[in-house]
Amino acid sequence: MRSARRFLGLLIPPTAWLVVFLLLPTAVVAAAAFHDEGWRTLLNADRWALLGRSFGIAAVSTALCLVVSYPVAWFIATCAPKWRGVLLFLVVFPFWTNLLVRTYALMFVLRPLGLLYTPAAGVIGLVHSFLPFMILPLYASIEKLPKRLLEASEDLGASPWRTLWKVTVPLTMPGIAAGCILVFIPAVGIFALPELLCGERLTLVGNLINILFKDNPRSPAGAALTLVLMLSTLALTWTYHRLRKTEGLV
Amino acid sequence: MRRRALALYTLLVLGALYAPILVMAAFSFNASPYFVWKGFTLDWYRAIGEDRNIRACLWNTLALSGVSTVVSTILGTVAALAARDAFRGRRLYATLVSLPVMVPDIVLAIALLLLFRAVGATLSLWTAAIAHVTFNLSYVAVVVSARLQGLDRTAELAAQDLGATPFAAFWKVTFPAILPGIVSGALLAFTLSFDDFVITYFTTGPDSTTLPVLIYSKVRFGGTAEMRALSTAMLVASLALIAGSLRLSRAPAAGGGR
Repeated sequence: MRSARRFLGLLIPPTAWLVVFLLLPTAVVAAAAFHDEGWRTLLNADRWALLGRSFGIAAVSTALCLVVSYPVAWFIATCAPKWRGVLLFLVVFPFWTNLLVRTYALMFVLRPLGLLYTPAAGVIGLVHSFLPFMILPLYASIEKLPKRLLEASEDLGASPWRTLWKVTVPLTMPGIAAGCILVFIPAVGIFALPELLCGERLTLVGNLINILFKDNPRSPAGAALTLVLMLSTLALTWTYHRLRKTEGLV
Repeated sequence: MRRRALALYTLLVLGALYAPILVMAAFSFNASPYFVWKGFTLDWYRAIGEDRNIRACLWNTLALSGVSTVVSTILGTVAALAARDAFRGRRLYATLVSLPVMVPDIVLAIALLLLFRAVGATLSLWTAAIAHVTFNLSYVAVVVSARLQGLDRTAELAAQDLGATPFAAFWKVTFPAILPGIVSGALLAFTLSFDDFVITYFTTGPDSTTLPVLIYSKVRFGGTAEMRALSTAMLVASLALIAGSLRLSRAPAAGGGR
């Protein structure tokens, strides 16, 4: 009993910090969004188009990321252990470097290809930047996959494609879901990357929030957009956690 | 045969991942500031070394990362330790602690910006440090609680049964066991802090620019030869940091990330 009370005391500092610097600011955003009827700006069709575009670009980038990453994760997970470490390091290294620096570096390759300042550059940039976030969880779940199930599927006459769709993909679904969440959430709120790679050709919700707050430090419209972005990403993570529990995905 | 195709494909993806970085690094040694190779030079590196503004930004970045790493490591470790025992509302608490990781950076940045404005705080490195602690706390807590989960609690309880005070039992038994987790949490916090652009951009003062914010403001208008050198130098610094953290934790590369 005494030690239980001691540990409850530990709860106070982090909780207090998060209440003051996370929940309180969220309340301020909500208040600003409903002050001066900032939420009314959301009724504008242009705003919906912008939000739709941001979610669409993030979804397309996430899907491409998944398609590009899966074979890579598969190869690394089925490699000899001595190669695995090296390959994983090469995949993880960009995660530890500055996203802005990587975006800048991408400009040197996109420019000669004639892709710089096109909307496609934004998607390429997102896939390129968040690839490690997708490969890592995929690798983790493929590595845990019991290989004898694949052999069994093959022995029982399934084609490689059928094995992939009926055995491999369902069993690695936790990794797929985790990777998609890890890529989608930063992608939907991104603002520096499209600005640098696409210029005026692609404006996403992050760019608009930035512009609104630069023009007016108390922008109710900006607060309303921030609130929508926050609630929609939270709803997404919440759904992910619900699915994980109810369907018994790890 | 299929194996070879997979290997080739993996190499291609890795190549695509690294090509831009290598091209940028190569041009940072170009004697011409334009994209025509005119021979090797270290002038741009000399220039960034002598640039007062860059040096000030470097100190700002280091101070910000240092302070936020220390505070968030302590708070994050405490946050992870507090969740060891079952209590009412534990799930709510766990959600609160992981919340900063679950929303896009710009949401946290704007929320804190509006809070600082509402209370009339002047934006400075201190407000940026508060913002950094808020997101780093979550990452440290995640890393430390992963370490705690793999730990057998009985040793600490045995120490208590043998007469150690609860604090002594924790300090002598549990703390050394979770120390590697705390260290990798701290390194992760430092790296995230050092590289952060979005949150710093919105919450720091006009006189306290950091390196990523500086790079952003220059690169928006096309970038300069100095920026290539600075960006390459930052990549090399990141590489050194990971090498250091790998040696410290002696963990496989993948353990360091998420």
